[in-house]
Amino acid sequence: MQPADRQLVTFALIICVTCSVLLSGVAAGLRDRQERQVELDRKRNVLIAFGVDVHDEAGRRISAEQVEDIFGANVGQFVIDAATGEELAEAAVDPNAIRVKRQLRLFYWMEDGERQRFSFPISGAGLWGEIRGFISLENDLMTIAGITFNEHSETPGLGGEIERSWFQEQFQGKRLMADGEPKPLTAVRSGADDDDPHAIDGISGATITSESVARLITEDFKRYNVFFKRLRDG
Amino acid sequence: MAAHKRTIIDPLSDNNPITIQVLGICSALAVTVQVQTAFVMACALTVVLTCSNLLISLMRNHIPSRIRMIVEVSVIATLVVIVDQVLRAYFFELSRQLSIFVGLIITNCIVMGRAEAFAIQNRPGASILDGIGNGLGYSFILLLVASFREIIGSGSWYGWNLFPEGYVGSGLALLAPGAFLILGIIIWVQRTVTQNFKDD
Repeated sequence: MQPADRQLVTFALIICVTCSVLLSGVAAGLRDRQERQVELDRKRNVLIAFGVDVHDEAGRRISAEQVEDIFGANVGQFVIDAATGEELAEAAVDPNAIRVKRQLRLFYWMEDGERQRFSFPISGAGLWGEIRGFISLENDLMTIAGITFNEHSETPGLGGEIERSWFQEQFQGKRLMADGEPKPLTAVRSGADDDDPHAIDGISGATITSESVARLITEDFKRYNVFFKRLRDG
Repeated sequence: MAAHKRTIIDPLSDNNPITIQVLGICSALAVTVQVQTAFVMACALTVVLTCSNLLISLMRNHIPSRIRMIVEVSVIATLVVIVDQVLRAYFFELSRQLSIFVGLIITNCIVMGRAEAFAIQNRPGASILDGIGNGLGYSFILLLVASFREIIGSGSWYGWNLFPEGYVGSGLALLAPGAFLILGIIIWVQRTVTQNFKDD
């Protein structure tokens, strides 16, 4: 090996090792904090779906501690089997099964020692990527009480408007059942009739996103309806 | 001193990386829908560019010229991943909005371009100034494009509504074609004002 080559290899090695050590260090050092952020985002959005105002009087978002406090005091969660609708024991819960929706996570709001309302995560394909959010239902288990979309890659300003409150608020009071059967939501192009409980206002210029949102709510509701049906039938 | 001043002032206008050299166009189109994301992107790029210029400049007498470029890319990529990880840990919402674009700073021609054109043959001090200057030049254009797009497309600036309720935004400004038009006009204006730039 020529001296020049040796120098070249040595230099390359030093660069590689330095960069790797630095990156591993940063990734390991920040991992806990990143995971906490993801978890906090989830809790915050469950609260939003339940209709909790996560902003203070000044319009700023409430702190992480406050989110944890409210969540811890009022919200409980459990996992059901998608096929049977039965509540699963802690030991049977499998994160991979939850990912492919064979097991379904539910949140409930505690009031007077009782499970008052249910909320569950919703997700599905949008125009550019997956849309994720949370929805909560009234006690009749079919009327939407609140909804939020916290993860999406829709076009900002067009499909991205699904993250705005004007879009999300219109879902309140919409119904997912008719005559005892699940009924799909539809996204209407030119202003939905307020009295129609199964239609939502689409976003102009974002037809695919609007329709995707209506579809993913309908489909995920059908999955959870296995469990809700058991509750309704007593 | 005058040379230093030129190093930092030139990229702002007469030798702007976007409007004169036409580098970094990809991100200038992609993250300029809203001023806020453009701002974070601009900060991230300026930090990465300044640090990479400094590091490359410090190593300039030791880097074997045959593997010069791969070393530059390694340094840049490491810096970018660190910035991305920090954003994810401390600015969760913003990192989600920027998604892959922070990672794409690695391939932003401005960073590599300044390392090759400047840092590899200049002292660390001058290289830092060059990094800051080019970062600011990039940021300026990015914010300008984003301002036009957000005001025309959404009727707001940095999230604040500027127009009364009922303003219907222009979808064109929010989509890629609008970005091309606005950037094209800015480049045209810049090149009309700056008469004697070198066009290879």
